[in-house]
Amino acid sequence: MVATRETVEAVDEAVGKYKYGFSTDIESEKAPKGLSEDTVRFISAKKNEPEWLLEWRLDAFRRWLNMEEPDWAKVNYPKIDYQDAYYYSAPKSDDDRPKSLDEIDPKILETYDKLGIPLVEQMALAGIAVDAVFDSVSVATTFKERLAEAGVIFCSFSEAVQDHPELVRQYLGTVVPVTDNYFATLNSAVFSDGSFVYVPKGVRCPMELSTYFRINEADTGQFERTLIIVEDGAYVSYLEGCTAPMRDEHQLHAAVVELVCLEDAEIKYSTVQNWYPGDEDGNGGIYNFVTKRGDCRGDNSKISWTQVETGSAVTWKYPSCVLRGDNSVGEFYSIAISNNLQQVDSGTKMIHLGKNTSSRIISKGISAGRSSSTYRGLVSVHKKAEDARNFTQCDSLLIGDRCSAHTVPYIESKNPSAILEHEATTSKLSEDQLFYCRQRGLDEEEAVALLVNGFCRDVLQQLPMEFAVEAQKLVGISLEGSVG
Amino acid sequence: MSDQALTYLDANSVATEGPAWLDVRRKAAHASFADAGFPHRRVEAWRYTDLSRLMAKTDWHPAAPHDGAVLVPEGRSNPFSSIASHKLVFVNGFFRQDLSELDGLPEGVEILPLETALERGTKFESAFDANGPEAMAPIAALNTACARDGAVIRLNEGITLEQPVQLIHYTPDGGATVAHTRNVIELGSGASMTLLEAQIGWGGAYLVDRVTNLNLGERASLTHVRLEDEDTDAVHLSTVLGDVASNASYKANTLALGGRAGRLQSALHFTGEGAHAESNTAYLLRETQHLDSTIVVDHAVPGCTSGALAKGVLDDEAIGVFQGKVIVAPHAQKSDAKQMSNALLLSRDAAMNAKPELEIYADDVQCAHGSTIGELDGDALFYLRSRGIEEQTARQMLISAFLGDVLEQISHEVARDALTERATQWFEVKKEGEV
Repeated sequence: MVATRETVEAVDEAVGKYKYGFSTDIESEKAPKGLSEDTVRFISAKKNEPEWLLEWRLDAFRRWLNMEEPDWAKVNYPKIDYQDAYYYSAPKSDDDRPKSLDEIDPKILETYDKLGIPLVEQMALAGIAVDAVFDSVSVATTFKERLAEAGVIFCSFSEAVQDHPELVRQYLGTVVPVTDNYFATLNSAVFSDGSFVYVPKGVRCPMELSTYFRINEADTGQFERTLIIVEDGAYVSYLEGCTAPMRDEHQLHAAVVELVCLEDAEIKYSTVQNWYPGDEDGNGGIYNFVTKRGDCRGDNSKISWTQVETGSAVTWKYPSCVLRGDNSVGEFYSIAISNNLQQVDSGTKMIHLGKNTSSRIISKGISAGRSSSTYRGLVSVHKKAEDARNFTQCDSLLIGDRCSAHTVPYIESKNPSAILEHEATTSKLSEDQLFYCRQRGLDEEEAVALLVNGFCRDVLQQLPMEFAVEAQKLVGISLEGSVG
Repeated sequence: MSDQALTYLDANSVATEGPAWLDVRRKAAHASFADAGFPHRRVEAWRYTDLSRLMAKTDWHPAAPHDGAVLVPEGRSNPFSSIASHKLVFVNGFFRQDLSELDGLPEGVEILPLETALERGTKFESAFDANGPEAMAPIAALNTACARDGAVIRLNEGITLEQPVQLIHYTPDGGATVAHTRNVIELGSGASMTLLEAQIGWGGAYLVDRVTNLNLGERASLTHVRLEDEDTDAVHLSTVLGDVASNASYKANTLALGGRAGRLQSALHFTGEGAHAESNTAYLLRETQHLDSTIVVDHAVPGCTSGALAKGVLDDEAIGVFQGKVIVAPHAQKSDAKQMSNALLLSRDAAMNAKPELEIYADDVQCAHGSTIGELDGDALFYLRSRGIEEQTARQMLISAFLGDVLEQISHEVARDALTERATQWFEVKKEGEV
């Protein structure tokens, strides 16, 4: 490969430059810097992908060239130079994948420990199968046998392409089409890896599936692609947790998540996102442009999104539900916390197409420091969506007088039997409540954490237990330094 | 550059031969509108009302003066006619001295057509400079470039005008005619008045575009009651751009019934603490009518309160739009803003779009908005039916109660009854249609 020498040099250059945080200096294999058809071919070849997938990527890439970066979101960031990033990096030991934890590079495990994600402990403690994405390639997948017994497929996206190409081909891009938006199209061209879940008919997934995403390699755009297919009457709960080491370079992250929910099926998708938000002056931090969408394709299906967003310098994320099947249900529970100079533009779309569909949106935005937080959401009821029902509540909490909170809901109804309700409030942290907590002996930061946790309770309750504990801590940590 | 806008401006803009201060502004507005063009659905603030498409017909031309008797169709007359008032009447956008009543104005009160004021050398620089927020700027520019007349109402400091002022616009002639008018209303400190405005048309396809620049001094108070009852083939644009100084108050209540498509938009900007502004709109639409109610309230200073309420009843294939935006500037602490949009869909083919926005940069504020869209409450209807009330009457009772939130707030009693009566008539047309 022409790129090999260049790649080695690039790695050498990148390693040793780390000044901040605790990036692991394991050898990576990178695609040459920049984005071109060759990059796409390189990634596809690296992954030994079938011809149809390469064509699919190239088609996306060609379309992407003619698209314009969207600017409607209420976020400001310097123009991204797409030619100044690496689009692929994988731990060197790619060919020789570890079969168990013992085989995993101890340095990787160490990094997880520093981040407070003791992989070993978690496996033992919670019985969670962890598909840890270290940079772009999965390095550890556990509890596979137990899942296999139930008939559940839970593996990295690359493995799925090799082992279950028919499923991937059938569903890939059917929820988020190639041309859906600028970032989704980019992802379609250069996606590196991600998770693949398939739950067959009537199976209730025996455990919660969890993936920890990490961004580790400097200047590496990360393009995860996740596809979850849940067949008739099946159920899965999927947890996605994200942490990243500190670094001084902006990093681009453009993931695509597609959920396919068939008749009587249910998907619960929970996210805790705690990527590096940049320092107090807004230097560094991750750009997070994510397209997440679930398709309630079958009748009586249900998709529930729960997210706790505390990280990233810029967040652009709208997990959505297409309520196609009759009686299908979509839910969106969100906590978005922004501090310092973070910018969040997040919300959801609920598209009611089927009869008796219902959706519920609970969004809690907390802004502190000089941050900006925007809820942007769409509830759309189409003509045939008889008796559709939506309830939306967006509350914003402001801490300090230099932050801002915005609400931009779009509510569209074309059916008279639909009932849509939307309410939003914006207020500041109550002085009285703070005072009460203080006089009971809590210091100011503890008091704020307690009150904010109370404000977020409706959403925190929706998280699976393991996540709820972590998320509550995160709420407190994210707001450190926001008062006083 | 937009060809559509250029063609339109060629036919309808005013020649720049007025006073120098105005010519400069007209030229700038001409250039600005030629550049921006008619807003279309890809312009965020117009995504639900595609004015460019509505104006796609190219033969728009200025309306001619109408000098004869104005024969208002039955049931469409000026609802405020029984109220003793100072009165300005415009027909096809032209002032009609003979129909107006401007005698006996008290000292310190100026009520006259804009054209006359301009002839007298009065300058309205700040009014013509106010283009409002981005959402409204293209229409303000269009109006500046094309409006030749309108109403000027000015009250000196401390004047309380006992009689209301009526501003009545009739549009009897259609056929792709356009009428642009510009109103300038300035109330000095502590002045107060009631403005009763009616726009009534039956001429078929026409465009009326009215921009009203409001300037309320400290402690001034303006009560604004409006009826919009244009022809169901007409396009109407009504823009209020207001500056509200400290402790001043602006209260608007509007009943909208007419038009093929309409946009009632207000931009209210607080310039001093303790000010209050509210704009409430009730609209009743049927067939393929489209009404867009857009309001932007800019809490630029601390301690102001604002409210916006829109109540829509949509029958047949009508489409309602509510766009609200509250902006609270940094340091505008103790702001209190409320917004609510309620819509009733009476038919399978009606549709409603709501976009209530908050943009908040200060922390010690109370801001809330809400939106509901649905049909008449089946339980309430059943209750009334079970008390022996026939369905049509029961529905009407519920809808009247629904609209009451806007109409009952009208403080001028006669005006309130007159508009309530108009809303009731709306049902009767429906009833006849059904029988």
